[in-house]
Amino acid sequence: MWWTRRRSTDPLTRDLEAAIGADSVEGGASARLLYSRDGSIIRGGKAGVVCLPGSTEQVAACVRIARAHGRAFVPRGAGTGLTGGAVPCDDPVVIATTRMDRILEVDVDRRIAWVEPGVVNLDLTSHLAGTGLHFAPDPSSQQACSIGGNVANNSGGPHCLLYGVTSVHVTAVEVVLPDGEVVVLGEEEGDAVGYDLRGAFVGGEGTLGIATRIAVRLTPDPPEVRTLLLDFTTIEEAAETVSAVIAAGIVPAALELMDQQVVQAVEPFADAGYPLDAAAVLIVELDGLPAGAAREAESVAAVARECGARTVRIAEDEEERARIWKGRKGAFGAIANIKPSYYLHDTVIPRTRLAEVVTGVNAIAERHGLIVMNVFHAGDGNLHPLLVFDHREPGVMDHVFAAGEEIVRLSLEVGGVLSGEHGIGLEKRRFMPLLFSPEDLAAQRALRDAFDPDGVANPHKVLPSGASCGDVQDLPEIPEGVWV
Amino acid sequence: MTGSSSPRTGGVLDLRDDALASCVACGLCLPHCPTYRVTGDERRSPRGRIALMRAVDEGATAPDAEWLEAMDTCILCRGCETACPSAVPFGELMSDTRAAVTRTRQVPLRLRVGLAVLVRPRLLRGLSRILALLQRLHLLPGRLPLPGRLPMRDPRQKGRVGGEVVLFTGCVMDAWQPEVHAAVEEVLEACGATVSRSGDAAGCCGALHAHAGLEGAARSLAERVMAAIPEQVPVLVDSAGCGATLRGYGSLVGTPEAAAFSARVQDVHEWLAADIDRMPAATVGKRSTVIVQDPCHLRHAQGCHGSVRTVLAPYADTVELDDEGLCCGAGGAFSVLQPELASEVRLRKTASIRRAMATTGAEAVVSANPGCAIHLAAAGHVVRHPLEVVAERIRGKQGGAHGR
Amino acid sequence: MRGIEDFRDEVGPTGPVCVRGGGTRWELGGTPAHGSREVRAPAGVVAFDPAEMTVVVGAGTPLGELVEVLAGHGQEVALEGPAGATVGGVLAVGRSSLRRLRVGAVRDALLQADCVGADGSLFKAGGPTVKNVTGYDLCRLLVGSLGTLGLIGQVILRTWPSPERTLWMQGSGTPEAVRNLCYRPSSVLWDGRRVSVCLEGYGEDVEAEAAALGSHLGLEVVATAPTLPPHRSRWTGRLAEGSLLEVGTGVVHGPVEEPAPEPGPGVAALAARIRSGFDPGGRLNPGRDPYRIAA
Ligand SMILES: Cc1cc2nc3c(=O)[nH]c(=O)nc-3n(C[C@H](O)[C@H](O)[C@H](O)COP(=O)(O)OP(=O)(O)OC[C@H]3O[C@@H](n4cnc5c(N)ncnc54)[C@H](O)[C@@H]3O)c2cc1C
Ligand code: SF4
Ligand code: SF4
Repeated sequence: MWWTRRRSTDPLTRDLEAAIGADSVEGGASARLLYSRDGSIIRGGKAGVVCLPGSTEQVAACVRIARAHGRAFVPRGAGTGLTGGAVPCDDPVVIATTRMDRILEVDVDRRIAWVEPGVVNLDLTSHLAGTGLHFAPDPSSQQACSIGGNVANNSGGPHCLLYGVTSVHVTAVEVVLPDGEVVVLGEEEGDAVGYDLRGAFVGGEGTLGIATRIAVRLTPDPPEVRTLLLDFTTIEEAAETVSAVIAAGIVPAALELMDQQVVQAVEPFADAGYPLDAAAVLIVELDGLPAGAAREAESVAAVARECGARTVRIAEDEEERARIWKGRKGAFGAIANIKPSYYLHDTVIPRTRLAEVVTGVNAIAERHGLIVMNVFHAGDGNLHPLLVFDHREPGVMDHVFAAGEEIVRLSLEVGGVLSGEHGIGLEKRRFMPLLFSPEDLAAQRALRDAFDPDGVANPHKVLPSGASCGDVQDLPEIPEGVWV
Repeated sequence: MTGSSSPRTGGVLDLRDDALASCVACGLCLPHCPTYRVTGDERRSPRGRIALMRAVDEGATAPDAEWLEAMDTCILCRGCETACPSAVPFGELMSDTRAAVTRTRQVPLRLRVGLAVLVRPRLLRGLSRILALLQRLHLLPGRLPLPGRLPMRDPRQKGRVGGEVVLFTGCVMDAWQPEVHAAVEEVLEACGATVSRSGDAAGCCGALHAHAGLEGAARSLAERVMAAIPEQVPVLVDSAGCGATLRGYGSLVGTPEAAAFSARVQDVHEWLAADIDRMPAATVGKRSTVIVQDPCHLRHAQGCHGSVRTVLAPYADTVELDDEGLCCGAGGAFSVLQPELASEVRLRKTASIRRAMATTGAEAVVSANPGCAIHLAAAGHVVRHPLEVVAERIRGKQGGAHGR
Repeated sequence: MRGIEDFRDEVGPTGPVCVRGGGTRWELGGTPAHGSREVRAPAGVVAFDPAEMTVVVGAGTPLGELVEVLAGHGQEVALEGPAGATVGGVLAVGRSSLRRLRVGAVRDALLQADCVGADGSLFKAGGPTVKNVTGYDLCRLLVGSLGTLGLIGQVILRTWPSPERTLWMQGSGTPEAVRNLCYRPSSVLWDGRRVSVCLEGYGEDVEAEAAALGSHLGLEVVATAPTLPPHRSRWTGRLAEGSLLEVGTGVVHGPVEEPAPEPGPGVAALAARIRSGFDPGGRLNPGRDPYRIAA
């Protein structure tokens, strides 16, 4: 490598260097600072040593050495997580998979690929160009997030409405367990014999071990795609349309809602022709075989008109379709034009309660003097209220956190859950008792303890615990100067 | 975001507050950063570098060797800027950081000597001829970042005046690749334009000085260039790196005159593409297939890489690379200062070029930036300027390949 | 109606218990240890909201009853089982439908499970919404666990719109040839020479694909799905005489019983830790072991 270095004097670092090479172990102040954070707003994490292993054996070595030195470890992918899942507590060894980024095998006939965990989600689909297959989970962060991270968070995306979240597309995982042992959970095809340990591991947020190789199912590209843009003068009508489409027996490939704030922010750069005076627009995508896609498009259009849609536009060609999606996918960018910071929430509610909850969320934001923008996976009731603000304004963070908590409580009141795709991490673990009884949590604890009896894998995440984690235990206590 | 006059942090690096605040740490830029791609290391990423700038600016971290290395390893390709949904002005942040750093740290000797030569055209040409001689005698190591065959003759052309457009000739390119300027001039003239050259009076654009954080030197070079080109005509540039720099004079110098000058600057392809009908029909040679490599300074800094395709379309078939415009690792003086990292970055580019060659049979790569051309040629590729390919088709002109 | 609390009280905090569903696969994975008390989960569809595409149902409900309720609204679930099987039984066994390629695996159908744990208290896994990553995915772990981790009392399942048209075809050909001609068939079965395909969806689409299979491969429409040989095993790359492979699911239906493959030592140890973690005293369905089911 290109940077020269002196030998470390710290015994843990020395052992790690001996095992995986000095070029792959970083203990400097800059490295520790950067690996103390992820894509979330959480600050105050504290990384011990950072390891960038290149193979399963090296990952296992890191885990064993960490344990031998009495240290915990934290798996990390691309660090785009939004709930602090990869934020280290108590000086652990951070094990990042970014150098394990090889696509190991693609079996087009059996529609399976084996990848290393550091492969970027979109890179796999790009790699499959020309085979007529793709990797279905498409989180909005897909250009950057790792497949290992997708597995750990059981990530979703717009097209998971029809195709299912990551767990549906992961058939087997090679895992370095918290004791350093390497096991393969699941089978390349179908269900493994015995407990669905693969299913239990997916969504484990790095607390059950480290995924080092992943077998994913590949999905055939649909022969026909219809993309509709519907616009409404009230958000209630848009929400009603979502329920009515589902009630009509149609599960679109994607069904996304953007409110007026978002539409006005993204239209200038997307040039998608979103009506700026619309209270909400829906993007509905229907795919499959030609006749079905056409009939479903007609039904959706009819349902929408009945619910009060002002206009129904069907993308004429690929270019128009791309522009409609560009606005949706670029929503984050547009937000920067309004305020420099955002706090993104992720709750799920019954899809028949969308209208009232969105109205409620807007009221909460207003009460706290914050701007809220709604752009979310309406088809499965997965809300993503974005609170937009300038973190440099004094006192604003208090309002942001208070509003966030009220949104969570409102979602639970109508029969919702805490997270649809971003996970619990550090951010939401204190809310877990709002949804789960002590017995429910004990069952989850039993699963975790079976994988990690000594509590060394990504401690303090997911489940609420009495133990503290430096400054990050409670979000509202995040030190001043926090930025989002 | 507010304009460049918005408040600064007043911290150690004194960066523009809004620029620094606009990064939300989402990480969407990571895979678009060449140095992160090859290292997988946050310290080599845009998000990491911004966080480190912030930490030093706030005084939370000391600018130690590890920190400096994080800054020094940035190619300033600005691939991250194009990818960033929050429109973080990364180029500005990094330039300001480097400027702050050079206020306290000496620029490495190698670089200082090199930069001193660039601004002395006659010295540069003299040294180049010595290098050319050594090259002919096989006395130079093979993998130096030099064109495959340096010119032996003094290629100096008189700065001509009075044309409808000015061709900016710069420093290294004028000395090392005079044939490119000749081809460009030929194409422009074939389109019916009269061309003057900026010549020695204008000299170096100062790109490398700015990259190195030598703001003062960069500014005085900018003044010199602007003084040497007083004409109110389009200033055309055939080197993407110089073009991006000239276009940045407005914010570098900060005067209305500089802004007006920058507004007159265009990449030569952009100028040609704006009125493609005046380009002559291909009369000689066969239609070839070329692989288009987008220089970062065209794609990310100037955003006019599409023009290269428009201009080539009547004369050659173009093949796209599958790496979404990831930097090749040349980056001004980067390949000299960080040779190992630069060649690792280049490995990704050459792999992508080889894939394109394998699927299309194309052999030549075109690049609108001399730095990229030399860097890729050093890895064994045949690299040409797009307008060399065009010139050949309009009168069967030979030569000009930088490859070996 | 008997509710989930009644079920909890019936299970109580002590003594070995086993749950009886429809008894259709009573011996799968081993019979309950001698002396186990038999309990039954509550039966009946508790709530069905077609616009939400979820249904709340007692685990003791006969699957046929649920299917009928859903069909009344043009919907279906990914569960499939022999006549008389209960919802809880199908989930506990965890075998997916023959139409898995369309409806998905059973483990993907379970959104929430209200269970009685080994200590006799109720615990909930998952949540009521169609998308949920709140905490660990206990639902997937429960599916196929033969009631050894918790006794499923009531569940929330995800439903899907039923296809407008279903068509089975048969003839000689390879799975690859079929997959090249069809977008997403619901099932592809192969005996080494002959292939059976299930096409489902909108009428016109099904007919178009059927026509393609007919003209290119000479497949012919048949009235029903092929009869499956009695035993299931995992596909090992070789297809014995008289066996049928479910393409893409790794399941082989064969005439002879095959032993279950041994899990590796690491997996076995982990599975043992899970079982004892959920049921330290070994009172939930003692005698049964999911690792004894061949597929
Ligand atoms: C702009 C933006 C948009 C987003 N959109 C979506 C979206 O649409 N849908 C969605 O679901 N998410 C979304 N996310 C969240 C995030 O991108 C996903 O959760 C993603 O899967 C995280 O991947 P990562 O590689 O960045 O993981 P990290 O953030 O590095 O880690 C996430 C968690 O996974 C663990 N982990 C990482 N790698 C491994 C491994 N190999 N083995 C075990 N555990 C591991 C970590 O310990 C941590 O708990 C978005 C994020 C951003 C910034
Ligand atoms: S620079 Fe832009 S893309 Fe990169 S982390 Fe910051 S906001 Fe995200
Ligand atoms: S300018 Fe280029 S090298 Fe520097 S951080 Fe941005 S993408 Fe990376």
